[in-house]
Amino acid sequence: MMLEIDRLTAGYGRVRVLHEVSLDVGEGEIVALVGPNGAGKSTLLRAVTAMIPDRSGTLVLAGRSLIGASVEAVAAAGVAHVPEGRRLFPGLTVRDNLRLGGWLGRNKDLAPVLEMFPVLGDRLSQVAGSLSGGEQQMCAIARALMSRPKLLLIDELSLGLAPLLVDEILARLGGIAAAGTGILLVEQDAGAALEVAHRGYVLELGEVVLAGTTAELAADPRMRSAYLGGEWEADAASEPGGT
Amino acid sequence: METSTAAAGTGQGEKAPVPRGRRPAWLPWAVGAVAVLACLGLQSQLYSGQERTVTTVFMFVTLAVGWNLIGGFTGYACFGQVGFFGLGAYTTVVLMVHGDLSFWVAWPISAVVAAVFAAAIGLPLLRLKGHYFAVATLGVAEGLRELVTNVPRWTGGGAGITIPSTGAKAPTLWLGNDGFYLLFLGLGAVSALVAALISRGRTGYALRAINQDEDAAAALGINTTWAKTVAFGMSAALTGAAGSAYAFQQVTIYPERLFDVNITVLMVVMVVIGGSGTVSGPILGALGIAVVSEYLRQHFAQWHSFTLGVLIIVAVILLPQGLVNFVRDAVRMRDFSLLSNVRRYRL
Repeated sequence: MMLEIDRLTAGYGRVRVLHEVSLDVGEGEIVALVGPNGAGKSTLLRAVTAMIPDRSGTLVLAGRSLIGASVEAVAAAGVAHVPEGRRLFPGLTVRDNLRLGGWLGRNKDLAPVLEMFPVLGDRLSQVAGSLSGGEQQMCAIARALMSRPKLLLIDELSLGLAPLLVDEILARLGGIAAAGTGILLVEQDAGAALEVAHRGYVLELGEVVLAGTTAELAADPRMRSAYLGGEWEADAASEPGGT
Repeated sequence: METSTAAAGTGQGEKAPVPRGRRPAWLPWAVGAVAVLACLGLQSQLYSGQERTVTTVFMFVTLAVGWNLIGGFTGYACFGQVGFFGLGAYTTVVLMVHGDLSFWVAWPISAVVAAVFAAAIGLPLLRLKGHYFAVATLGVAEGLRELVTNVPRWTGGGAGITIPSTGAKAPTLWLGNDGFYLLFLGLGAVSALVAALISRGRTGYALRAINQDEDAAAALGINTTWAKTVAFGMSAALTGAAGSAYAFQQVTIYPERLFDVNITVLMVVMVVIGGSGTVSGPILGALGIAVVSEYLRQHFAQWHSFTLGVLIIVAVILLPQGLVNFVRDAVRMRDFSLLSNVRRYRL
């Protein structure tokens, strides 16, 4: 396994957000993490990258424990994070943003990521803040890939993007995973996430309530009613009376 | 869905990447070398009063370039920078008066002392951001002044202290106006060189990333504590070296003048007007402020401070990003209107 998380507990100060979460991501595997707002999805990613220092449990990347490691050390171990809101360096050019992505391995070779996102090739000399939302998201993913990560964490890829663009970017993830990178994808849009993922976890109130392959999740009635919305009409009759 | 995505892709692909007219890499170095040579040639043309004025300009170039490393590139506005200036000055004086050391030994030691001190206070202070960092550094400078004032045995206290600079007891003979002109010119040139090398190097990338988004920089594996401390230390070293040379030039120094908060304010104004986070901005800012200030002093002696203040306010309103950044943006966007610049940067 690339990433193994076992009974991870994390939070902010005295507020615990994650309660004994266990989850794993294999080499070249895309794992979707879905759930409602406030479930702790972003917190889980931030706990992996050590941006939340208060955490306990087991957190192992490629055989190396990341508990107690600093943010820089986690990055050096091979974790790249595409945070919510992208967090590009808005005043720097796209070229500088990408080269900063390759900071650790002194990777200056932009060709592979430009091949994946050709639009960025035309924007290299523009400041990142002037890009459109979709281009910014591509730039953020490209920047993360510049570190040639073992594990890629993506938070809310679809936020603020047109559905067409989301599909286009999601389609690239398959190629990234095929090269051996494990991807943990946090997504509000469960349907879109499960389309590209191999497996998925459902997080509610800081606990994993459901886990399985994409097919298993798509067939699960709780999943369908709460996140996929497909069977809403069929459930509508029983819902109000049942609760 | 697939076809429309592909169509959009080719639509963007058709637009050939426009090659930007990038300036040749050697140009800034050539301009710098010519500027230094011009300053050397200028020396023989100046009266001694003018020579002293230009020497002071070189000192402010050094101070502005030094402040820009931490305040401009890194985005940590240090309002206690004059503390390093005074620390460098008093280190030199103490070493020369009590240690009987040559200025040429005391000078580099003073720069190192300032840098080590900055690194030591930087470890706690560089965790603060924005106003908190500014206020904390202001406090450090005030504290240093109090310290110097209260150990008269070593520093002469508030009454000041004099470096023996003539006769047999002098560790190093006073350099004269010509000597200090060359000393400060050299210091200014080295400062600009240091800033240029940092800006182009790996550290410069790290500092600009920290300035923009420190958490994102850390997430890319940049050791932000290390990078900020290096910037702060280098900034203090240049400032301390300037203070050291200034002390020797003045011969007699007092805490009030060496820890004068106005010196910090001048550094900040020069960097902001010239263009923070650039190599040439602080140099041009220092030159511009010095020339305007000197002109006003000679022609409008009574209104000097007031007029300079008004000019600075107008400059900041019209060019909030500084001269160099304005010119760069204007060339890039083919828009040289000051009015649209104000509109673009209006909060």
